[in-house]
Amino acid sequence: MRLTNIVFVVALIFLFSCDYSNIEDSNVDQGIGNDIEDTTHTKKVSKIFYNVPPPIEMTKLIQESGAEYIEDILNSPENQFKYLTTADAAINLGVYGADLSYTRMFDQIQKSISYLSSLKTLSDELGIPNDEGSMAVSRLEDNMANRDSILQIITDTYSNADAYLKESDRGNTATLVILGGWVEALYIATSLAESTENKVIIKRIAEQKYSLNNLIELLKFYKEDKTIAYYIPKLLELKEVFDKITITYTKGDVITNKETKMTIIDSKVDVIVNIEQIKEIHNVIIEIRNEMINL
Amino acid sequence: MKKILYSLLFVSLLAAIPTETQAQCKSFTKKTCIPNLDPYVYNGQFNSAQLSEGDVAELLLTFYSDQEYRISICNQANLGKVQFQIYDTEKNLLYDNADNDFVSMWDFKSNSTQQLIVRVTIPQEENRSGIVQTGCVSILVGFKE
Repeated sequence: MRLTNIVFVVALIFLFSCDYSNIEDSNVDQGIGNDIEDTTHTKKVSKIFYNVPPPIEMTKLIQESGAEYIEDILNSPENQFKYLTTADAAINLGVYGADLSYTRMFDQIQKSISYLSSLKTLSDELGIPNDEGSMAVSRLEDNMANRDSILQIITDTYSNADAYLKESDRGNTATLVILGGWVEALYIATSLAESTENKVIIKRIAEQKYSLNNLIELLKFYKEDKTIAYYIPKLLELKEVFDKITITYTKGDVITNKETKMTIIDSKVDVIVNIEQIKEIHNVIIEIRNEMINL
Repeated sequence: MKKILYSLLFVSLLAAIPTETQAQCKSFTKKTCIPNLDPYVYNGQFNSAQLSEGDVAELLLTFYSDQEYRISICNQANLGKVQFQIYDTEKNLLYDNADNDFVSMWDFKSNSTQQLIVRVTIPQEENRSGIVQTGCVSILVGFKE
């Protein structure tokens, strides 16, 4: 074997025996690759995933609260043509995802199809391949009478987009999608709470205090991205309002049913919030949301 | 000329392998891990990474009250039995799969909305040949409709 061949083979062996977790950590897509020393544990955490509940969960809770469907508060699907930059397309992919979750939860099938069509346009703009979710419009049209199918298509579309963006070293873009979805879901909730003073929704809004902290941590990791850097101070302003809400946590028993294997966490959380604080949150979120959707 | 070609090939391989590894992780998550959530609805969040022996990863997420959830930890077989623990934000241990033969799923419901920390620890085997084992690990969450 010639020397160059030997060098080549040795290099390949070295290459395949490497630990690539550090390489991937530096990509920071899937989560946060920062090293954090946890004082209560002996091992160092090499990767942290900060995340927020997806809009589909929040809209489910809104629907369960007995709130009405108000279409006027949503971002019109026709606005899709305004979103020409990558950042705008990503944010509004999240916004439309929250709107779609809301329309689906209230069985607005035709409207859901319009939103999914907008999602396809924005997915294409972001370069997400057709087989990664944007072809789902045709699936929705085929299954328009089936509510469960729509839910499946929504989660498929978002999981594919999230995975594709993160694995293409575009964690910042995936984060903008998450940001847009969270802001729109909160906007919908505060709009409904302000007009109805529904106590269940008010409590659900207060609980977003946890998610806001996670979201800010997630954004900070991509602070080099100029759009993300722009929104961090706005979320910190929102955090100041949320910080006026008091949430007290008391650990309770954790009991597992041996037959069903379902565990119940019997902890107690007291939330002290009033409608004025919700209105304040609504005012801040309106500003952020209007910028996002280019109103 | 051949040297240049070899160098080019080597650099191309170097650049391609991490991407390929990530793509494998995505494919693994999609084919092997997401089905484990059934009958829960996958929340659509891709929390997957290549981890090595001894690595620790955490997911911080809010879980709403009175909703049924499934947390599924899924890893490639070469990593062995992966431990996962659930903590509240005050670092109280709520669950440890080591007490339950390292099962890969946990179904639960909380009476109050709370932030939980899912901590995943990759075991460190001592009797291996010295090659650090690396594989895909996914932390997935499903909820009941």
